[in-house]
Order: sequence, then C-alpha cells, then structure tokens
Amino acid sequence: MKKVFCGLLALAILAGCGPKEKVARIAVALPLTGDIAALGQGLKRACTLALEESAQNRHSTGFRVEIKTFDDRSDPKEAVDVANRIVSDASVVAVIGHFNSGCSLPASLVYARHHLAMISPAASNPKLTLQQLDPSWRYPKTIFRVNTTDDIQGSYAGEFAVKTLKARRACIIHDKTAYGQGVAEEFRKRLEALGGTALSFDGVNVADKDFNALLTRLHELHPQMIYFGGDYAGGGLIVRQARGVGEKAPMVLSEANFDPEFLRVAGAAAEGCYVTFLGSPTSLLPSARRFVDAYRARYPGVEVKAYDGYGYEAMAIVLSLIEKVGPDRVKILAALPSVAYQGVLGETRFDQKGDTLNHRITLFQVKDGQFQPVK
Amino acid sequence: MILQQLVNGLTLGSLYALIALGYTMVYGVLLMINFAHSEIFMSGAFISLLVYQRLIPWLSPSEAWLVAIVLAFGGSALLALVVERFAYRPLRRSSRLTPLISAIGVSILLQNAGFLFISDQSLAYPQVFEIRHYQWGGVEINSLQILILVVSLGLMGILHLFVNRTRLGTAIRATAQDSTTASLMGIPVNGIIALTFLLGGALGGVAGALNGLYYGSIKYNMGFIPGIKAFTAAVLGGIGNIPGAMWGGIILGVLESLAAGLIPNGSEWKDVIAFSILILILLFRPEGLFGRHVPEKL
Repeated sequence: MKKVFCGLLALAILAGCGPKEKVARIAVALPLTGDIAALGQGLKRACTLALEESAQNRHSTGFRVEIKTFDDRSDPKEAVDVANRIVSDASVVAVIGHFNSGCSLPASLVYARHHLAMISPAASNPKLTLQQLDPSWRYPKTIFRVNTTDDIQGSYAGEFAVKTLKARRACIIHDKTAYGQGVAEEFRKRLEALGGTALSFDGVNVADKDFNALLTRLHELHPQMIYFGGDYAGGGLIVRQARGVGEKAPMVLSEANFDPEFLRVAGAAAEGCYVTFLGSPTSLLPSARRFVDAYRARYPGVEVKAYDGYGYEAMAIVLSLIEKVGPDRVKILAALPSVAYQGVLGETRFDQKGDTLNHRITLFQVKDGQFQPVK
Repeated sequence: MILQQLVNGLTLGSLYALIALGYTMVYGVLLMINFAHSEIFMSGAFISLLVYQRLIPWLSPSEAWLVAIVLAFGGSALLALVVERFAYRPLRRSSRLTPLISAIGVSILLQNAGFLFISDQSLAYPQVFEIRHYQWGGVEINSLQILILVVSLGLMGILHLFVNRTRLGTAIRATAQDSTTASLMGIPVNGIIALTFLLGGALGGVAGALNGLYYGSIKYNMGFIPGIKAFTAAVLGGIGNIPGAMWGGIILGVLESLAAGLIPNGSEWKDVIAFSILILILLFRPEGLFGRHVPEKL
C-alpha cells in the first residue's frame, strides 16, 4: 500500500514538470514605495501596457515574456540589493531602471559585472553612461538610457536664466542627491560661462520641511532668480516658503518637479515658476498620442505621469530586440548599440555613451495652476 | 537679519516644544520613551485635514478649520489613550525595554496604516485663510507664524497652570515623583498615567495640524523628523521636566534657524551644529538644562 502511494506521489511530481513554455523575464526596478512612489508606479503601469500590447500581436515563439518588478524605494543601498537579486535570476534578459540617478549609479555596476543590459527611463545624471567611456571600465557597455541628461538640462536652464530672464545674479539650491546636485552644478557652469554669478550654492536635506531660515538668508542677497535642482518633495515646499518670506524673483526648477504633486504642495505659490523637462512630454508629441489614448483606456481615471512615455519606450525597445534576436542576455546586449527605434519619443538611437541622441528640452511655466509649455 | 531668523526659529521651536511635551510627560510618569508619539503628531495632521474637507461645504474655511483643530486635539488624545491601553499598559510590569519595543512597533503600525488606508503620497493642506505679512522694525512676521506662536504658547501656558495649580496636576506630579507612594495615598495611578498620554497626545495632535497648515502638505511619514527633533528637545531641556521641554524645543528651533541662516551653506550643516551643541550640553549637564539629577529608581 505504502509503495503504491509513493509511486503515485512520484507520478504526481513528474506530471508537474511536463514540457513547459520557457519564460523570459524583463526586470523592472523602480521606486514603488517611498517619497516618489507615484512616479515609479506610473512607469510600472507604462511597462505593463507595452508588454500587453506586444503580447497581443506576437505569435507563439516557444517562450513567454513577463515583467518582474522590484522596489528600490529610491534608496541607493536598496537598489544594489535589488540589482544583486536581479542578476542572480537567470531568466532575466534585460533591466528597465532605475528611476533615481543615485540608485542607478551603484546598481549599474552590478549589471555591468554580470553583462546584463540596463535601460534607464529617467535617471539623468551624465556620469551614469559616461563611466563606460572611462579607460578603467572593464565591462562591456551595458548602460543605456532613453531620456535626455542633466548636462543638457542644466545648461539649458542656465542659458534661459541669462538670456531670457536677463538674470545675472542667481541663488542655487539642490537636494544633495546625485541628480539634484548634478543638475545644479551644470546650471552654475553655464550661468558663469555666460557672465552670470552664483550668489550662493546650498544643499538641503531631502527629508526637511522647513527651509525658511535658508530662504530668509537668500532673500537678503537680492537674487534675480533662484534655481532648484531636486524633486518635488523639496521643490514644492521651497517655492511655497520662498514666496512666504517675500522673495519674488523668478524660479526655475529641474524636471523632477514636473508633476501634479509639485502643484499640490506649492499651491498658489507655484504660479509663474519655470520647470525644464527632458525631451517632450507625451502630451506634446504627435507620435505619443496613440500611447496616451491606450494608457487612458487601460487605466481609466489615472493621470499619465511625466516619465510614463519613457518607461513605455524602454520596454518597447527591449521587446523589439527580443523579437529580433530572441530572449538572450548576450544577444540583446550586442544588439542594443545599433538600435534605431521609431516610437513614442520620436526616434531613439544611442550614441557612443549609450545616451539617446534625442536632445530635446521643453520649458514649462505654471499658469493658472497648470504646466503650460513656453514657446 | 538675526531677528528675522529668530522669528523663523521661534515658530519652528514652538512646534518642537508642543511635541516634546508629549515625550517628556510620559517619561516623567513611566520612565519610558513613547516612540509612537511622532505618529500621534501625524494623526493630528490627518484628522484635521479630513475633518476640514468634510466640513468645507457647510462652513466657512476658518470656522471649518477651528472645528478641525479641536477634533485633532481630541482625536489624537483618544488615539494616544488607545495606544497606552493596548500597547503599553499590559507591559507595565515587564522590563524597561519591552514597552520601548512595543512603542516602535506601534509607530510602524500607525505609519503603514496611514500609508495604506489614507494615502502614500503627500496631501496638499489647504491655505485656510489669507496670509497677511506684518513689517515691524525690519522684521517680517506673517499671520500663520503668529497663529502658531499664540496657539502653542497658549497651550503650554494652560498646561503649566494645570500641572501646577490643580488637584489633577498635583496627582500627575506625585505620580511622577513616586508612583508607589502616590497609589498608597489613594491616587488612581493608572488613570493618571492615561491622563498624561491624553494630554501629550492632544498637544501632539494640535502640533500636527499646525504643522500641516504651516508647510502646506502632510504625509504618512511626516512625524519621523519632527519626532526625533522633539525628543532631542525634551532631552536637552531635561527629560521628564515640563518647562524644560518647552525651553528645549525653542532653543533647538532657534539654533537650527540661526545655523541655517547665518552660515553660508549652513542648511547642510544645521543638524550637525544643533546636535553638536546638544552633545556638548549633555556632556556638562547630563540631566539636561532644567532636569534635576535624581538617583536611579529601583
């Protein structure tokens, strides 16, 4: 009796391991909780949408493509941990992520060491891809991104300050992250190259809520404009409190403030502020209209977030490569540099570093509580 | 310039002081650090916002906010009471560390409850009334700062009178001094402990509502930093000492503002400066500025 039972059990186990479809996974590593979870969640939705659309028009190829999401909580330490978990999963063929430059930088080394391609939809610090051109870089080129970088964004803002706002004396604030400080330094470089002066260059803590003391001091310097590099958690409060201490100078903020959340936090004080944006938001690109409609149909009642188009594009590029070369880490990595993809962002092609050749920047100004593109 | 930074510092400090009172009063009677107090503060902000949004169709903004802050006062007090009853009282007879761990647990629980059930994003806190700016001898102060100063100093004054001039206040002081003897004298010690949680929670809740109004946005994790700062303020003034907590909060707020406002790039260094001064003070006065040195109770 016992023998029969054991035999049945063995059969049952074997039956479970019949010939199965192979699964290829695309890892999506984003901040899904924490301060900027809303942006991460939006990107995740966009990636899911891209996958679902491609699944509909794909024929049976003997394997199934899945998304595997990871949460880095915008914390660099967590990001490295996530990266290590991703590379140890053999079914992962490519990574979409991370969101923050501060997370992408350390995580990118883990992916490079394991020859796994990573495409960032949002990290904008130039160092991320630049490190691959360094003579000491011993890995293949694994890092790519579909969004424009901070050196382009920061110098655009510097040029705008001097040439359009006619501001030569600027106060600069950043949030001490790889992203915020990086973009603020690029702004300062351009400002000084054009003959302007940086009256101050201050870092603030991301978790702080009270910037009154700092802003009171900057107010005494009589700046002609204020630049902020960082995300909306700090940006909204800084704008609000700057107007609170009576500072009326125009303010220009980096693109992480291009979010409804910024308008909510800053309230009426946001009026008149400028925000630079990397590339063109999906709402302005004719090529993106179809994406926005599909997104709204798939997620009714959810606002399309600023980076969602980039997440969709990164995912679509990976999927198109899987179509072309099959679900294989090495082949995808080899095919990435020569990608020329027509999609939501217009045409994406990668340069020497792995950055997109799409260098468009859009400037927005807050009018009547809305971001309006400045012509 | 220095005067202007003093105004900023006083506003910030009076909020710290309001929160610090909750830490210090509970420590006074229980010798326990209530780490969940920062979430009581957060709950006050959320209660006031939710009540305000409910009432706004029927009342004018300032009336609605008045009701909202009163309910934040009551609601947070009630929450503190519930926390004490279920998370700390059963552990009254265990080691000193057990309630501390329980407090950290409650703190995480309340934060995640806010995260899951209310919002994982920051919520905009409406500007309830038109902010007026007053110039006075080169110093600018706005109506919000005046409101915060008046409400917090007023509440602290009332608390001070309550503790020092009423029978219940005497009972609180007696319990803090020696709870065993107090209970032998017929003081209902359990009730008095609950009362200190109630008072601390109420003040923390008001601080939360004021904080929301002042900064314009609230979030499930908003309590963490002010909580740490207020706890520091309580230690600075002498933990267990009520006037000490008030002074500690104000001193810390002013120090932070002066550091951030007077030193170039000071906003990066303000916490380093404020906390270095704290360490220095504690090296020379381990009992804090106003604390009395008492031998360890056994």
